[in-house]
Amino acid sequence: MSAADERPVRRRFEDGTTIEDLRTYMAPFVATLGFRFNDDEEFVEEVLESELEILDRDGDVFCPCRVRTGDPKEDVKIVCPCIPFYLDQFSAMRKCWCGLFVRIDVEDGSKLHGVIEVPEGPVEVRVVAVEDLADGQGRVVTVGKKKLALFRADGEFYCLANVCKHWGAPLGEGYLDGYFAMCPWHGWRFDVRDGTTDHPDADVRVYEVTVRHGEVFVTV
Amino acid sequence: MDVTLYALSTCPYCRMTKKFLDKNEVEYELVEVDLLEGDEKTDAVATVKELSGGTSFPVLKAGDEIVVGFNKPKLKALLDL
Repeated sequence: MSAADERPVRRRFEDGTTIEDLRTYMAPFVATLGFRFNDDEEFVEEVLESELEILDRDGDVFCPCRVRTGDPKEDVKIVCPCIPFYLDQFSAMRKCWCGLFVRIDVEDGSKLHGVIEVPEGPVEVRVVAVEDLADGQGRVVTVGKKKLALFRADGEFYCLANVCKHWGAPLGEGYLDGYFAMCPWHGWRFDVRDGTTDHPDADVRVYEVTVRHGEVFVTV
Repeated sequence: MDVTLYALSTCPYCRMTKKFLDKNEVEYELVEVDLLEGDEKTDAVATVKELSGGTSFPVLKAGDEIVVGFNKPKLKALLDL
C-alpha cells in the first residue's frame, strides 16, 4: 500500500484536538509530497501549539508564519500543510516556509531554520515513491504548475515533458513498449531515454531523474 | 535608523527574530499583525505585501532595506551587529 492510500479522511477538528492528532493527520499527507516532520522535536511542538491556537481562533490550522488576507482563494493556500501550493519553492528550500516540514532527504532539519530563500537554478522535486510506479508503466506527475510524464522502463525511471508535439496529448497516459512511450492519441513513439521521436522537430524535453532512499526526484 | 518588525504572535521565526534583536539591544517598533483588528490590520497586511511582495513573516524594515524571514547573516549585516 502506498502512503497515498493511507491518507486519513479530513474531519472537522473537534474541541480538544491535540498536537498528536495534528501529527497523525498530517504525516501521511506530507509523505506523499516528499516531506516529513522536522527532526527538531521542540520546534515541531512549538509550531503545532501555535497551529492549535490558530485553530481555536480562526477555525482552521492556518500557517503560523503567514497571515490571512480574507480572500478565501488566497487563504486556502496557507492551510497547513500548504506544501502542494508551493511544492517547487519548498523543494528548493528543502523545507516548508515555517520549517515544520523538511524534505525527506534532509539529514538534520534543525540546521535549516535560517533558510528562507529559494536558491536559483534547477530544483529537485520528489514526485513518487519507487513502489508507486510498476515497471513498464507511465503516469503523469505534477510539479508546481508543470505536468510531466514519468516512466519506468527496465527498472529505471525516466521523465519527459508530458505534451506530445503532434496534438498535445498527455504522454504520461500512453503506454510503454520497452524504452518507447506511445502517445495515447495517435501512437507517436518517443524514446524515454532521450525524448527523441521518428517525427521531425517533435522531440520532447527530457528531465533528469534521481532515485534516493526509495523516492524518485525529478530536476526541473 | 528606524527599525520596524512586522511579526505574527504565532510565528516561531518571528519569536526568534525578536529574541535576536533584544539580545543585540536593537531598538525597534514591533507590529504584531495578527493581533490587530479592522482597518489597522488591513493596512498592516497591505504594508507587508508592499514591502516584501508576500504575506510571509517576519518582515523587518530598517531604513529602506527589508529582510524577510529570520535570516541572521542579513540581519547582522543590515544592523551592523
